[in-house]
Amino acid sequence: MYKTEVRGLLVEGGKTLGDVTRDVMSPLETRSPNWWRVVFGFASLMSIWGIYSIYITITQGIGTWGVNNTVGWGWAIINFVWWIGIGHAGTAFSIFLLVLRQKWRTSINRAAEAMTVIAVLCASIFPALHMGRIWNFYFILPYPNTRGPLWVNFNSPLFWDFLAISAYLLISASFWYLGMIPDFASIRDKTTSKVKKAVYGFFSMGWLGSAKEWIRFEALAFILGGIAAVLVVSVHSIVSTDFAVGMEPGWHTTIFPPYFVVGAIFSGFAMVMTLMIIIRKFYKFENYVTDSHLNAIARILVFVSLIMGTAYLTEIFLSWYSGNKYEMFTFFHNRITGEFTPQFWAMFISNALIPQLLWSKKLRSNITVLFIISIIINIGMWFERFNIVVTSLTKDFLPANWAPYHPSLIEVGIYVGTLGFFILGILLFFRYIPMIAISEIKGVMKFNKTKAD
Amino acid sequence: MEKQAYIVGVYDDEEPLIKAAQKFKDEGIKIQEIFTPYPIHEIFEIQDVKSRLSIAAYIYGWIGGLSILAFMQYAAVLSWPLNYGGKPENSFPSFILVTLVFTILFVTIMSLTTFIGRAQIFPGKTIDIIDPRSTDDKFVFVFPKDGTDRQKVESLLKSTGAVEVYDR
Repeated sequence: MYKTEVRGLLVEGGKTLGDVTRDVMSPLETRSPNWWRVVFGFASLMSIWGIYSIYITITQGIGTWGVNNTVGWGWAIINFVWWIGIGHAGTAFSIFLLVLRQKWRTSINRAAEAMTVIAVLCASIFPALHMGRIWNFYFILPYPNTRGPLWVNFNSPLFWDFLAISAYLLISASFWYLGMIPDFASIRDKTTSKVKKAVYGFFSMGWLGSAKEWIRFEALAFILGGIAAVLVVSVHSIVSTDFAVGMEPGWHTTIFPPYFVVGAIFSGFAMVMTLMIIIRKFYKFENYVTDSHLNAIARILVFVSLIMGTAYLTEIFLSWYSGNKYEMFTFFHNRITGEFTPQFWAMFISNALIPQLLWSKKLRSNITVLFIISIIINIGMWFERFNIVVTSLTKDFLPANWAPYHPSLIEVGIYVGTLGFFILGILLFFRYIPMIAISEIKGVMKFNKTKAD
Repeated sequence: MEKQAYIVGVYDDEEPLIKAAQKFKDEGIKIQEIFTPYPIHEIFEIQDVKSRLSIAAYIYGWIGGLSILAFMQYAAVLSWPLNYGGKPENSFPSFILVTLVFTILFVTIMSLTTFIGRAQIFPGKTIDIIDPRSTDDKFVFVFPKDGTDRQKVESLLKSTGAVEVYDR
């Protein structure tokens, strides 16, 4: 068989199986570090502002936001799409690489999946609040009711969205939990604390690691992985149809589904990179999350960034080529130039140009550069959603409809709040869940051995 | 739970374990259970364990897909037809996304349920852990004490590289 040395060792430092369990368990067994407590404090403050803003929105209504009749979708939908995008890559990462049998996923998948679940939970807050009357939330469920029964509109992308995101959340969470069962069992059998033994024992569901358990476990992981791979593509395509079936200039294009899916994978991979650098640095997991892992993610980012750049240029080209004056206006006089110039160029430079620096091997192996670029990409992706939502809505076909949009403090508060929830969730993940999939790492260690021979 | 008596052989690497499992099979001695810290495919083959979960999932997929299509047909065409901008009531192409997503959801829920049912694992289950190191760094063979030729098993275990053999 043709073999090529693309990657270094999957686990460095000559670790034994016992070392893996001990290393991954160590953050769970020791006192939480000081930085953890400080960040936890900050994130709690952010969350409190978020909860206050959510309370005001629910009790006083959407009037507390900066949205108006023209710009009906403001920060809420921007942040919703942004969070869904981030939530996308965790499962994309973990599942595509599982289906493609890429062994380097094992060090990263747990954290990526954690990120997915928390980000999707953050995302779901926005459409729920945007409904206005959140207590009538159950109207969206197709159940036999006393209103006819009046069923939901199965042709509406908004209903598809609701279904797709619920399904995605459930499947990602199940997949994540399934992977943790053997690791919880490892902790149960190794820890000396009685409380931990009981708690992790409860959640390990009586796992023993017999051949029969393992074969079923693998079968289920492949089933969930295989079908969730379809969902990864469909969820963001459906989110894009929320826009693409709308008539607004700049939205009504067939490029939207692939454009959104790629954008989601892009921002999610950037967030995975941010997270892995933090894990590696603060928990000393350099032997598990190796330079080779970060290098692999960086190379994927360069590639996806090229696709993003191509998509941006294609949109601009087609607005000119179509000869449609409204499309031309949106792209040339409302994005590239005009009122929203800074936002457009922030998007273009952060997503299409700056990641190109990663072509250089020297920059790719500089952790600080990688960290900064991963943050820049996420900011750029936020501006992308801003561009799509706000530029198209503020100036549509009739100048009489035009209206400006500025977010209110309540809208900003909800966004900051979700950032706080996300950070809190990630910190709790660091503290209570093995950050690296213990059993999966052990399973790929034999490939290390053959490489060392 | 009443504890059964077992003979336990402990290995500390995957390679001797696979060879040993094959040797026991050739000698016609049945290993009751093999506990490993991670899945080993050779062991599945030697022990002849199979999972039909993927067949079940395939069937669940058909059931889920067909039932949601039938349900949408009922809700949007028979029960309460609504005119959305003059579009056909039975707008099959736009039902496809819901069908796809619901099928996936249904397969997930049903496969998880089947897994929990077949593997008999659930939160808070009481278990008899034979050797707690088997979820850490040891590979464990377990033989029932009754009806096993103790001496033969012990000598086979030792000759194939087991680092410990003990009764439990």
